[in-house]
Formats: sequence, structure tokens, C-alpha cells
Amino acid sequence: MWEFIARSLEASMIFTFAALGELIDQRSGVLNVGIEGVMLFGATLGFIAAQSTESYLLGFLVGIAIGGLLGFLHGFFSVTLGVDQVVVGMGIWILGFGLTTYIGNPYTGPLGMERIPTILGLSPFFYVGIALVVVSWFVLSKTSLGLRIRSVGENPAVAEVSGIDVTKTRYLCATIGGMLGGLSGAIYSLFYNPVWNYNFLMGWGFIALALVFFSMWNPLILLGGSLLFGTLWQLSLNPQLVLPGVLSRYIWRTIPFVITIGVLLIISTKWFRIRWGAAKPEALGQPYAKE
Amino acid sequence: MRIGSYELKIEKRLALAGWEAAIISIFAIIFALALFSIIFILAEINPLLAYREIFSYAFANPYGLPLTINRFVFILLCTSAFIIPFRAGLWNIGMPGQLYAGALGAFAVLFAFGGKALPPPDLSPAILIPLMLIAAALGGAGLGAIAGFLKGKFNTNEIVVTMIMNFIAFWLVAHMIKEGGPFMNPGGRGESFELPPSVHAPLIMGVPFTVFFALGVAALLYFVFAKTKIGYQIRAHGHSPAAARYAGISPFRISLLVFAIGGAVAGLAGYHYFAAVPGVYKIARTYGYFGDLAFYGIICGLISLGNPLAAIPVALLFGGLSIGGRFVQGKLQIGFGVDYALLGVLMITLVAFQFFYHYKTAWVKTGEKKLDVGVYR
Repeated sequence: MWEFIARSLEASMIFTFAALGELIDQRSGVLNVGIEGVMLFGATLGFIAAQSTESYLLGFLVGIAIGGLLGFLHGFFSVTLGVDQVVVGMGIWILGFGLTTYIGNPYTGPLGMERIPTILGLSPFFYVGIALVVVSWFVLSKTSLGLRIRSVGENPAVAEVSGIDVTKTRYLCATIGGMLGGLSGAIYSLFYNPVWNYNFLMGWGFIALALVFFSMWNPLILLGGSLLFGTLWQLSLNPQLVLPGVLSRYIWRTIPFVITIGVLLIISTKWFRIRWGAAKPEALGQPYAKE
Repeated sequence: MRIGSYELKIEKRLALAGWEAAIISIFAIIFALALFSIIFILAEINPLLAYREIFSYAFANPYGLPLTINRFVFILLCTSAFIIPFRAGLWNIGMPGQLYAGALGAFAVLFAFGGKALPPPDLSPAILIPLMLIAAALGGAGLGAIAGFLKGKFNTNEIVVTMIMNFIAFWLVAHMIKEGGPFMNPGGRGESFELPPSVHAPLIMGVPFTVFFALGVAALLYFVFAKTKIGYQIRAHGHSPAAARYAGISPFRISLLVFAIGGAVAGLAGYHYFAAVPGVYKIARTYGYFGDLAFYGIICGLISLGNPLAAIPVALLFGGLSIGGRFVQGKLQIGFGVDYALLGVLMITLVAFQFFYHYKTAWVKTGEKKLDVGVYR
């Protein structure tokens, strides 16, 4: 049972990192629907870097760097070029899926390195994740930087007038969001499941995206959602823990996805929408052009 | 930006003529192929040689050409499945899931008629093939309709929902064909039972009849969007859902309709790939690889700006590139996944080129007095 809890927390942290990055991104008004692509890139290049240098640190750094680069690219396309953010996100995702399939294929198989040691029986990323969530919550809601980010996401024109550089703020958030996405991918491929395979993420990024909508853009609620889905994901892999012999293991794999749709439904109800509508960054997904 | 005495002026386009869009799209494809040369160069292969091999295998080789046409039919159907919601301003990225549902529908018909038995029974193609097509369309439509219903009724983000449905459908297929699932191959392999030869899709000059379906759907869509009331309503919804509502168009109906029809077309793509392509005739163990190729439909739909007729040559080109890419990967000893890498490079290039669909650029000689009206930044 303890192992199950520890594994669930590990899975939760992958959701947490990716979704936290997306949350920061969206708070500044930039919607990146391609986190799965960012994660695939971070996971694949991190995996290759770690395996060829035998250094975990380098693997994670490469994952963060490529994630940041993709986030920056997303910022360039959507902020500077003003391209529809959904199109850009789809582009990043399909680029990630397509290129990593080609780049990673020669590395198919296990990582073959000693596992990262745990701290008090838990993944070290658990502590980092909790700290990051608290820091992000504090920065977003209590500091002037957070106010800057939020005002850019709510009403960029007003923010610009009050002396905030919209472009710079959005680039910053898009890059940080990408870095966290890349790190989350690297945690998957270097720690959670250190095996490279064709299109191995299978929906983690998209569930993380749904989690951001669900969190009402609050990092603390986001953490709760991630913990729930990490546990669900782990359960779907080990259904024998609760209901041995019921349904095939493939049907169990659909459960987290079915529940994601259920959650999306709940947050679309009127009761939720009244609160959600207030929390949603007003300018989310809209390009801003200085007139 | 300025170079010498010339300055780059960027101007927002008010309207985009068809020929302008076509030129930009052609440039985007050429640029992507040039960019993709880097992959060949990194693999120490002359890109010109690689492209010659790709095109000659895909379009001039007696083995390659039928493969290209089959892939073309698949991509064109997926493109139509993407375009229908796209014209209504909605994103369907659930083609893989919808085509899995279509394949399951078609195989369910066979299963019900005892097609799994060994030796393969002699079934009547005149009855079974239409039934399989209907079941495939219904399967895809059912899956698509879920996203359309949720979007229309609750305004649930359709991108996330269609993508999530892909994974649900993916695991449902695994459940049906693996580890003792109802459609499992009687030989015990983790793939579906094989189509009895009597109900193989009829071939016309070596190509399954589904090619006419794909072309017919594209032509019909063009007509529907250009000439009919419902097509007009879909386009109106695409321009502005709020305005459409004031004009008496029900967003719920439009959303449900476009996703159900889009799903049905994707379902036909599933029938095509798993029950009509010669040499396949089963839901293969690696069905996920085929399903993911459906994403070519997104690029094809975007690059043809939602025009179903313009999508035909693009789908043919992409079909050829993906088949040829797979071929050179074996012939020139490149790693697996050239066709997927191409998918990614094409997509990101297209994203960059979106800029040119929205803005005009021109090099202007500076030092002249220019009237600064309508000039963007």
C-alpha cells in the first residue's frame, strides 16, 4: 500500500509540474494546448542526454532547456507574430510528437541507470513540487510580479497603459511554462518510467491541460487535482488493488480519461461557471497588438 | 527591421484572395521540405537524392503508387473530418479515436455475421460491405457526437474532449482485440480476426472503391459549404457563434451536427484503413501507428484553409511524402519515423506561415515620405 501511495505521488508530480507551467502561462493570457508536445520533447531529449552522459543532472537540465526553448517559440509565434494560439499549440504538440518519434527511436528501451534515490521514501520531486506550488501561489497572488502577470492576462491594454511591458511579461511566462513542461517530461522519462517508447506519454499533457481549467487558475487547487489524477492513473495501472478480476486491464486504462471528461463537465455547469467565469483570465488566448 | 536603406513594412491583410492563399501554402510546403533536408543532412544523406527517391517511389513506382493512393484516401477522409467542424470554428483533433470507433463498428458487423469463424465463411459482400460502411460511419459519428454535444450544451473545450476520446477509443480497441477480447484473432495473436476474403473491399484498377468515397465527400462538402443553407449556417457559426445565434442559428445544433458528420467521415477512414487496404484486412497490432497518421488531416485542413477541394492535391502530396518517407527510411538506412518527423516539421512551418495569411510584408525604401495609414506597427 505504501508503495502504491508513493507511486501515486510520483505520478501526481508529473501532472503538477506540467500543469503549473501551463497555469503560469495562462495567467498571462497565453494558452498553450501543446504541453504534451513540450513534455515529449523534454522527456526524449532529457532521456538521450542522461543516457549518453550518464548524468541525471544533465538530463534534467536538457529537458528544462528544450522546454524553455519551445515555450519561447510558442511566445514568439503567438505574441510577436500574433498567430492563433490554438494553432500554435497544435503545432508544438504535433512537432513534439513527430520529431521525438524520429529522434528517440534509436534509444528505444530502458534507461539503464541507477534509480534516483528517494528521500524519506518519497520522490525528491514531491518536495520540489510542493515548494514550487506554494511559491507560485505566493508570487501570483501576493507579489507585484504576480499582479503584473495577472493584469496582463486580464486586460493587456490597461496593463500596458499602467507601464507594464505586456510582450516581455508574456514571453517570460511562456518560457517558464515551457521549462516546467520540459522538466515534467524529463521526470517521467528519467524517474517515473525510465523507458523510451513510441509516443509513450499517452495523454498526460492533455490531462494536465484539463487540470488547469479545473483549478480555476489557483495553484493550490491545481495541486489537489494533480494528486487526485496521479492516484487515479496509478489505480488504472493496478486495478487489482481495488477490484481484482473486474473488467480487462485495457478498460481500466480508460478510467482516468473518462473521469477527465466528467470533471470537464462539472466545471462547465452553471454553478461552476459563475465562479469559473470570474477566475478565468479575461484575455486568455487572445493576441495583443499595441495600437 | 531594416536592411540598408530598405525597411520591412508589415501590414494587416483585410482580405485574402484564393490565389494568394494558394501561393502562401505552396511556399509553406516548399519551405518545410527545405527545412526537413536538415534531417537528411544530419543522417549524412544528400537531401536531393532522398527527395528523388521519395517522389519516384511514391508517384512512379508500381508498388509505391497504390500505397500512396491508399494513404491519400485515408488522409483526405481525415482532412474532411477535420474541416467540417473547422468551418464552424471548432477543432476536431479526435480523428484517431473516431476512426478506431469506425473500425470497431465495421468489425462488429462481421462479428455479428460470424466472420470470425475458421475457415473464413463465405459472406455476401453486397449485404455486408454496405452494412460495414454504415456501422463504421455510425461508430465514428457516435464518438464525434459526444464532443459536439458537450461543446454545444456545456461549452466544454472540444480540443481536450476530442483528444481524450482518442485515448479512450485507443484502449477500447486494445480491449476488443487483445488478451481474449471478442475480436481477438483466433490464432491467439494480439490483433483482430482477419476479414473473410469474400468481403474484401472491391478493387477498381487495384485501388479500393473507397477512393471514390473520399473524393465524393470532398466534392459534396465543397458544394454544401458554397451553396446550401446548412453550409452557410456552419460558416456563419465559424465567423461568430454569437452573431449566428442572433441570426436564429442554434449553436447546439451546429456543434452536434459538425462533430457527428466529421466523426462519421473519420469512421469511414477507419473502414478504409482496416477493411479495404489490400494487405491489411484486420485491425493490426500496431493500429496506434496508423491512427496517429490521422493528424496529417489537421495539417492538410489548415494548409488548404478549410477548402475541401484544395485539400485533394495536398492530401495526395502528403500521402506520397509519408509513403515515400517510410520507403527511404528502409532504403537509405535512416532511423524509424521519417514520416512522423515530416509531419512535425510541416506542422510547425505551417504555424509560422500563418503570419503571412494575416499580414502582408513589403520592403519599402526609407527616406521617402509615406502616408502612415493602416500601417501596422
